[in-house]
Amino acid sequence: MLTVNHLAKSYDGEKKSLTDVSFSVHPGEVTVIIGPSGAGKTTILRSINQLIRDDDGEILFDDTDMRQLNRSQLRRARCRIGMIFQNYNLIEPLTAIENVLHGCLGTKSNLAGIFSLYSNREKETALKLLEKVGLKDFAYQQCRNLSGGQKQRVGIARALMQHPKIILCDEPIASLDPKSTITVMDILRDLAINDGISVLINLHQVDIAREYADHVIGINNGQVVFDDRTQALSDAAITGIYQKGAVPERSLVHEF
Amino acid sequence: MIKPENQISIPTQLPSGPRLSIPLRFRDRRRVTILLTLAVLGYITLMTLPTMIPSHFKLTEALMSFAENIKIMFLQPRLVNTTFISLLGVLGQSILLAFLTTLIGSVLAFFFALASTRRLAPTSLVLGIQSFMAVIRAIPTVLWVLIYSVVFGLGANAAVVGITFHSVAYLTKVYADSMDELSPEIIETMQAMGLKKSAIIRQAIIPNLIPSYLSWTFIRFEINFADAIAVGAAAGAGGIGYQLFMSSSFYFNFHEVGVMVYMILAFALVLEIISYRLRAVKHQ
Repeated sequence: MLTVNHLAKSYDGEKKSLTDVSFSVHPGEVTVIIGPSGAGKTTILRSINQLIRDDDGEILFDDTDMRQLNRSQLRRARCRIGMIFQNYNLIEPLTAIENVLHGCLGTKSNLAGIFSLYSNREKETALKLLEKVGLKDFAYQQCRNLSGGQKQRVGIARALMQHPKIILCDEPIASLDPKSTITVMDILRDLAINDGISVLINLHQVDIAREYADHVIGINNGQVVFDDRTQALSDAAITGIYQKGAVPERSLVHEF
Repeated sequence: MIKPENQISIPTQLPSGPRLSIPLRFRDRRRVTILLTLAVLGYITLMTLPTMIPSHFKLTEALMSFAENIKIMFLQPRLVNTTFISLLGVLGQSILLAFLTTLIGSVLAFFFALASTRRLAPTSLVLGIQSFMAVIRAIPTVLWVLIYSVVFGLGANAAVVGITFHSVAYLTKVYADSMDELSPEIIETMQAMGLKKSAIIRQAIIPNLIPSYLSWTFIRFEINFADAIAVGAAAGAGGIGYQLFMSSSFYFNFHEVGVMVYMILAFALVLEIISYRLRAVKHQ
């Protein structure tokens, strides 16, 4: 479904942010990427839908290399890749249902985008998705009035509106309280099990990764240092992921 | 970036000998330059001031006649050569001139802003449009109206085009700045869902922009109203500015000037109330 081969990326041309990263993501599974700050987790995730143009390697999504696509091909490929963010990135002045409907605009015409033309069927789908994430009663609320956990659930509904084959989650729970964390993670796991969507999540919380992941990828200093089923993630393995290699904070300080 | 010579080194030992006062600031080159410039400007001002006063100038007499004119204007407003209704009509002309130029200006400026925001446009285009607009802004509105009056002749046409011209440059800048303030992540998110540029502008940028768009456009309307009065006199564009010019410089009737000033003040007050309401909407 998604295979990443020998991905490499450097931001300043010298220091490598990623060196030779390879892994696969399978349908119906929750795959979690863990690793210290600055290890390259976000770079990997953003390379998959080419928000970051990587320097080298291969990203096979449905057997096409995302790196070889031209602008309009890439745009069409992105329509089937959902993404949710730490800061939710909703359009705050709009209502929840309007935000969810944005998910289907990628496959619609310019005119539909400009005049917000959605079919009744699309609106029904949007309402059903909001119901699925438990926000049916909030469909007509402005998103700026929602809580963090509610915003993230709108974000998930928006990603689902794309009918995605894969959902990329960049630190989806980093700004949430423990209760919302569980709600959001439960929804994501449910998507993998019941809808057969591949869910790829960047996480800081190892305990959450252990509880929800089918597959864990450990990243340190731009390299894959662990790639196995969650059962194999021993305490020793975790120590290895977080300790080996350069301390990322040092490089940050160095830049200033 | 702190230059090494400006870096603070904390003395490990207090200097012995006579106690020196501890400075609170460094005497750096920038501060010295500013102080020197101010000193030179102050000296020039003091030296030229006496030469500007004409020999027959008498301070008390001047102050008295100033007070007299102020009294006529503000305490004895009265119409002589014209009626209140006709003055309302010309005030309306000035308001409409301001409205028309703001309307055309804001529509044009919106598209220029889209082409000159860092969020959407390439750097070369951003720099190109922004510097072109900066040049237009640097020349005052009244001058633009006079420049266009060479093309169109003195009158309302030159006023409309000239004020619009400066409005476009002003609004392009502030709209583009508002767009630059939007989080790049929002646009990135839309791109990640495969949205076309038109959809991103309509669905992500415009909803976030509406409050600042409204308040900036309104500020420009206030500016354009003031400009409309000024060019009414300067470029013969009509409106209450022209009446004001006739009454003050042609008929020397300060009673009438007073009425018009009160009318303009009343309208400015209305504008101020509306803009206060708009600001409340923005901060909701």
